[in-house]
Amino acid sequence: MKILIIEDEKELASDILHYLSGEDYRCETASDFATAKEKVSLYQYDCILLDLMLPGGDGFEILNHLRSQNKQDGVIIISAKNTLEDKIKGLNIGADDYLAKPFHHSELAARIHSVIRRKQFDPSNLITQNEIRIDFLSRTVHIAENLIVLTKKEYDLLLFFIGNKNRVLSKSALAEHLSGDLADMFDSHDFVYAHVKNLKKKLNEQNYGGYLKTIYGTGYKWEI
Amino acid sequence: MTKLLDKPFKAFTIYALIILLVSIPVYFLVVDWIWVTEIDDHHEIAMDRIEGSFKEAYLSGQELETILNSWNMLQPNSSIVPLKGTIASPDSVYEVTKYNSYEQESDRFRGLQKVIQIDGQAYLLNIETNVEEAYETVFAIGFVTVVLYGLLVFGFIQLNRKISKAVWKPFDQTLSKLKSFDLSTNKEVIFEPTDIEEFEELNTTISRLIAENVSAYNQQKAFVANASHELQTPIALLKSKLDLLLQDEKLNATQSELVNAIQIPLARLTRVNKNLLLLARIENSIYSDVEEMDFSEKVGNSEELLQDYIAEKMLIFKKIGSSICHFQCSKFLAETLVNNLLSNAIRHTPHNGEIIVEWGNSGFSFQNSGKEALSQDSLFKRFSISTTETTNSGLGLAIVKEICKQNSWEVSYSFADSFHNFSIDIQKF
Repeated sequence: MKILIIEDEKELASDILHYLSGEDYRCETASDFATAKEKVSLYQYDCILLDLMLPGGDGFEILNHLRSQNKQDGVIIISAKNTLEDKIKGLNIGADDYLAKPFHHSELAARIHSVIRRKQFDPSNLITQNEIRIDFLSRTVHIAENLIVLTKKEYDLLLFFIGNKNRVLSKSALAEHLSGDLADMFDSHDFVYAHVKNLKKKLNEQNYGGYLKTIYGTGYKWEI
Repeated sequence: MTKLLDKPFKAFTIYALIILLVSIPVYFLVVDWIWVTEIDDHHEIAMDRIEGSFKEAYLSGQELETILNSWNMLQPNSSIVPLKGTIASPDSVYEVTKYNSYEQESDRFRGLQKVIQIDGQAYLLNIETNVEEAYETVFAIGFVTVVLYGLLVFGFIQLNRKISKAVWKPFDQTLSKLKSFDLSTNKEVIFEPTDIEEFEELNTTISRLIAENVSAYNQQKAFVANASHELQTPIALLKSKLDLLLQDEKLNATQSELVNAIQIPLARLTRVNKNLLLLARIENSIYSDVEEMDFSEKVGNSEELLQDYIAEKMLIFKKIGSSICHFQCSKFLAETLVNNLLSNAIRHTPHNGEIIVEWGNSGFSFQNSGKEALSQDSLFKRFSISTTETTNSGLGLAIVKEICKQNSWEVSYSFADSFHNFSIDIQKF
């Protein structure tokens, strides 16, 4: 799957590229307005990460250009501006998601995963990860035909893990995913343990593959 | 504090009082002297005329005796009696207090006696006139003085008031403009022109001072906004690098713990920076997308987001809505306000404590259990340190205050029965 990273801060672009490289993504970067516009016109991407403030132009114009050509590439705006106006404007023009900087790469990866899944033509709205089957419409999880009843947070965590497989996820990244940007108001994120523990217990009861690993002192990893 | 015009007024009044008090004896002495002098003059003239008349009449013997008898009987104020032998001071002016049988009281009399020759015989001529009583004069003068003093003071007060109103009007206008001036509202202050030189000069000076301050304030604001804006990219990179470092499989447990430990101050840095940017944006009134908000809905959303933190500290969370609380506000600001107040309460409540959110149509309040009252003065200021907790960005309540200011709401803090109470009054006043 192809991803275009439009970001003028080259360090950040290369970090994103690095983080996503483990997945079956092919990433390209564009660091200014002209290159970005050229690339989106010429090629088709599964997901475009779009910074709004670019040398040479406004990120919104690229989004406009894309939608005016009737291209249906998934777009996630990554912006330092973080104003509600920008967010609403972006989503109205046709962005699929909006992520404020600074963000955890794991959060970005989960959002990309979700955008691509939504864009892919799949009438059943299912994803399967070995024996685990997730239905997005009904928000239910099955392991070998057995329904697992998860709380909203456990369900969110499961999707987050699957969107970041084979990655070490820190507790603060998980907390931020669950509480949004309110998480950085607190020091202690111990509640994450409780949710992960419950999720693990419920999955274990149905004998899943034991993918969810605790990494001592760091966090968790969904190992496939 | 005394008013400016009252100061000279007080001095004037006291000075007038002293002068008038001194004037009472002075008036008395002067009046008495004139009175006595006039009477003495009158006596001299009368005596000369009496003496002259007797000389011209050439009376003698029985006729003279009859006339003198009837004179002494009919003239109450004078007497002519034959002088036998000599007296110590034949011609003299004297003063005597006698009982007046007509008025039935003692009166002061001024008299003049002189020896005159009628028909070769020496007679003692005596004229007396009732002089006004000393104490009566003093009383009359004192009374008039007091009345005049009263009029004087009354006049002073009236004039003072009138002058004060007219003359100090431009000054009062300047003062009220200055009182309502708020550096952070970005409103220009325009003083009305006045024809009084000093006030015009004052206004010009103040205008210049304000302009300088506004410019310094704006520069500082812009500096904070720019600085936090510039910090965003390095913070984003730091976060990004740490995420990547965490993926390194060669990382041992100690190193992983270090990486995690760095995340905590980094989160704080992120929060401080985000809040500074937010404050700058609120101050610049960027959020004008006002819509109707329902408080209970906002607090419900906030509770959902923060319930993990409430559960983690095992807090009792109560919501009491006495009536529907609607208000007009930007959606983003309303959410920020509620989130800030609730997370503030959660952070500062000890384990097993209690948080009570109450609302009604006039406003809402967040109460949380605590040990002792916080300092009122610095509570809503930026970076005021009220706790040792490191997650405190020191800006949460400053943002609350700023949002309230934007919406003309009143935010207040109180401490009672081991509960901190932050209440917001949304009724415009």
